[in-house]
Parts: sequence; structure tokens; C-alpha cells
Amino acid sequence: MEYILEVFLDDYRLAKLKGTPVEANIEAVFGGELKVVRVKVGEEVKNDILKAFETARIDSRACITDTPVAFKRALFEEIVNQKSLGEEVVKAVLANIDKIKELAAKEAEYLPAPEIETE
Amino acid sequence: MELYFNRPMPHGGRLVERVLKDKKAAKKIVQACEKAGAVYDIKPTLHYKRGTPVRNVYREIMSVCYGFFSPVEGSMTSAELESVLSKRRLLSGWVFPYPILFDISKEDYQKLGVDAGDRLLLRLKGKPFAILDIEEVYEIDPAELADRTFGTPETNPEVVKEKFDDKHPGWVIYRSHQPIILAGKFTIINEPIFKPPFDRFWIPPRKCREIFDERGWRTAIAHQTRNVPHVGHEMLMKAAAFTGDVEPCHGILVNAIIGVKRRGDYPDEAILEAHDMVNKAGYIKPNRHLVSFTLWDMRYGNPLESLLHGIIRQNMGCTHHMFGRDHAAVGEYYDKFATQILWLKGIPSYGFDKPPTEVEGGLQIRPQNMREFWYCPKCKEMAYSENCGHDKEKQKLSGSLIRGLVAEGVQPPAIIMRPEVFKTIVKWWKKFNYPFVNEKYVQYKEETLEVDVPDID
Repeated sequence: MEYILEVFLDDYRLAKLKGTPVEANIEAVFGGELKVVRVKVGEEVKNDILKAFETARIDSRACITDTPVAFKRALFEEIVNQKSLGEEVVKAVLANIDKIKELAAKEAEYLPAPEIETE
Repeated sequence: MELYFNRPMPHGGRLVERVLKDKKAAKKIVQACEKAGAVYDIKPTLHYKRGTPVRNVYREIMSVCYGFFSPVEGSMTSAELESVLSKRRLLSGWVFPYPILFDISKEDYQKLGVDAGDRLLLRLKGKPFAILDIEEVYEIDPAELADRTFGTPETNPEVVKEKFDDKHPGWVIYRSHQPIILAGKFTIINEPIFKPPFDRFWIPPRKCREIFDERGWRTAIAHQTRNVPHVGHEMLMKAAAFTGDVEPCHGILVNAIIGVKRRGDYPDEAILEAHDMVNKAGYIKPNRHLVSFTLWDMRYGNPLESLLHGIIRQNMGCTHHMFGRDHAAVGEYYDKFATQILWLKGIPSYGFDKPPTEVEGGLQIRPQNMREFWYCPKCKEMAYSENCGHDKEKQKLSGSLIRGLVAEGVQPPAIIMRPEVFKTIVKWWKKFNYPFVNEKYVQYKEETLEVDVPDID
């Protein structure tokens, strides 16, 4: 079975992918309001991710979700580095798992809230 | 033919209400227990390996004494426990899915020196809270309890796909129980006071039935939640409410489960206020939508949890209950449609050769099994999976997808999450410095709980 890692793209990330072969794979979802690229992985890599991050889970779309933000950032950077959406980008990220876990541990304590009015 | 559905009776025939309102009588009880040295300070249940809080039995005492779990009246005896584990029936014959147990350590039991026939004062936050009239003291093996509570692929092949283990929060709760069980009825003798925002949403079954009367709700459909609502949930509520009798359900009762949650879930405060925002912002009219909660450290038992949900919401007066796929589930332990299988045809290995509404001692609440909503770019709307024919174009949304956006600080598009709901998440994010449940929040919740306990004087 194939599992999917979604990477959502804001303007900064879209600019980084401009002109790369990945650009052709950018998809617009939810009425065009969100841009996303998808990395597909097999059973083994899926298991490595679930093992690495306690919060990670598989949702109803076979997407691997609830991974730390640090992992998602590293994944995006690796996509830019390798200009690819192949499974090898995830393997490269997992090769540095200790560093990501360190960052993830910090982010489990604190994530900055967006500056929007809440009252 | 009956055209109208009547509100169901409480499960078991009457609402359990075990709350002593007479302060003088309560003081006498406290004095007697203190004199006998029969006083126990409620402790959180800690993870059997990690030592983090996974449950607080005070929530079960509250849910029993205010009637959410009617007809259960207290901590189960060994015979009742066996009956629940083997047949999912109380000794009275009424359906009940889970063990409800007051457990203490062997050391605490030795120190207390209580036995059957004794009355034990239970303190919460250092103040008198409830009493337990002990009928029996017995010992359990927590590992066996955990396995038998949920079943195994061998004993429950219809729906259990994987052996339960310590990645399953419900299994961990039972595995982390202390070995000595004090069985007997609970009575609250000093009512806790809910803190904001919980105070606004505390609606015990009797009160809930009164509100239904005031609002003229003949029919009401329950929506189970442990999540903030995205537009898919909102559509599920609206569409499921089209069932009813001769007209759509008069009301939608949102009943959140409040207690220890998984890391990555939303804080309880955000869940309640975000659901309330759905009616405050007018996405569902306030006079058709009521937000409430039940105290319970969720066991994530999919079909078993759905039985408990049915019982709670029948006790609250609902005529219908919506059930989606993966109801109250975590991981891949159960068939994704285990709950719907239970309510459509039964699960014999759990004691249901017929649906729970057709067995003796069963429920009267009607199931409304729903599939899912997705965004269809062709229909240009949030479409029901069984209606929309654009299978290739569908864009499924999930709570996890939205959590991913939130964690990265990306505001979800309004088409999948209402901006007012997102603002509510951010409000509590600012308070807790984190949008989701983390270790810090779990510790904070255990220290503060949802309630304060007043002085009894």
C-alpha cells in the first residue's frame, strides 16, 4: 500500500519550488484555496515514520499526519534540495532523525500562536 | 403506524442520581468517616510504564452520580465485572460495555484497613467529595483486565484487527489500574463547582431533558465529539439531523468527552467553545444546537465506546445518535466500520447477535450511521460520499489534515474550517502556548481538573 506525506505550500515555499521539476506537481485543493505537493512512500518508510514520532498517525486518506513541524520543514527542504517528490527525500530526512527529534522535543513544549484577533 | 418518536426512557428505566444536597447530613457523614479513619484522597491513574496521568476516577464518579452512566451506580463487584467482560451486560441484564472500577494500590488498601460494609470518604483536591459504600473488596490482574475489556483478534474476529497494546490509550488506562478494587455505590456529598468554560456546558441528564422540554425538542440527535469542528463535522451534524420522524430532528446535542486525551488532540476548553461557536456564528441556529459534555477519560474502544455513547445520550434524552466511520477509534485496532456493524447487525463475540437496539436490556436510541463528507471541486460543495459521483476528484478532509495546517501556522481555508472556529483554537493556543494537548497540558489538567471543590462548612 502507498502512503502519502502532504506538504502545504505558502508563498515562500511556492517561490522555492518555482522553476524546479516539482513545480509541475503542485496541486490546488479545496476550491483552489490551498496548494500542496505529495510525497508517496511505501510500507517500510511509513513504519519508520510512525516509529520515530509518537504523535504520527494515518488518516482516512492514507496520509501520514501529525508529524512534528520540524519533520515537515526538513521534508520540504529536502524536496527543494533533491528537486524530487520520490521516497528518497523522506529517507534522506530520516537519516537525520536525531536532530529532528531534538527540534521536535522543543516544539512539543511551545509553538507560537498566529497573531490574529481572538476576541 | 406511529408517526412520532417519543423520547426514550433512561437506560435501565430510571436516571441514577446519587448526589446528596443536604449539607448537614453530608457534614455528619464526613465526621463519621474521619473518626473511623476511612478517608482516601483520590489520585490520578498513572501510565504503568511512563508515570504520566491517563485517568482520574473522579470523572467516573461524577458521570455515575449525575446519571450519565445510568443504570450504573458505582464501582462494579467481581460478579458484575465478569458479566460486563463476558457479555457486556450488568447483572441486572442491562447492556453496559466497560468496567467501572474504583481501584487502589495494595499499600493504600493496607493503610486504609477498610472492608465490605465500611463507608469510605473520598476526597478530591483535599476536600470531601464523595463516599463509597463498600460491598466487596477484590483483586484484579490489570493486564488481563485490559485485554478482556477490548478483546483480541482471536476472541473478537468480526471487528478486532490487531492485538491491543500500549499504543492504545484505552488499553493503557485499564492496564494502569491498581490491583485492589473497592466495589460499591458512590454518592457525591459535596458538589464540585465547574470552572469556566466548563460551567457553561455542564448539563447532566435530568437538566438536559428539561432543556429539551423547554425548547420543544421531541427529537434530538447526538453528536459525539473529541475534536474541534471542521466543516465536515458541521455538515455531518446538519445532514444527520435530517433524520427524525415526520420532520428533521428538532435539535442537535453535541456531547464532548472531556478527560485525559491523546497528545495532538485539542484542549478540552477549545473543543467546547469551538463547537459553541458553530451556533454563535449562526452556522446552525442556537435554538437547534446545544453543546454539552460528559466527564470520561476516553477508552477509544470504537464499537464498545459507541455503546457507552448511546447510553449517555439516551440518558440525556436523545432519540437518535449519529455514528461515523472510525467512531471513537485510534490506530488500526478495529475495522473502520466496527461501530456501524454493531448497530446494523450486532457483533456476536461482544454479546450482540443482534443490534444493541434489538437485544434484551438494550438501548432505545436510534443509530444514524453516516459515511463521510468531502470537498468536491466539481459539485463545488462539501458533498456526502454516498451521493457525490466524482470519486476521482474528491478531496477528503480530516482532523489530522487541519491539525497539520494549524501546527504550521497556516489558517485553514474557510471552506474546511470556519474562521470563528479557528479563532477559538487560537484563543486557547495563546493561553496554553500550544494548540494541542501536550505533556504540559496533561499535567496542568491533572493538577487543576475541570472543577474546584468547595469547603463543606
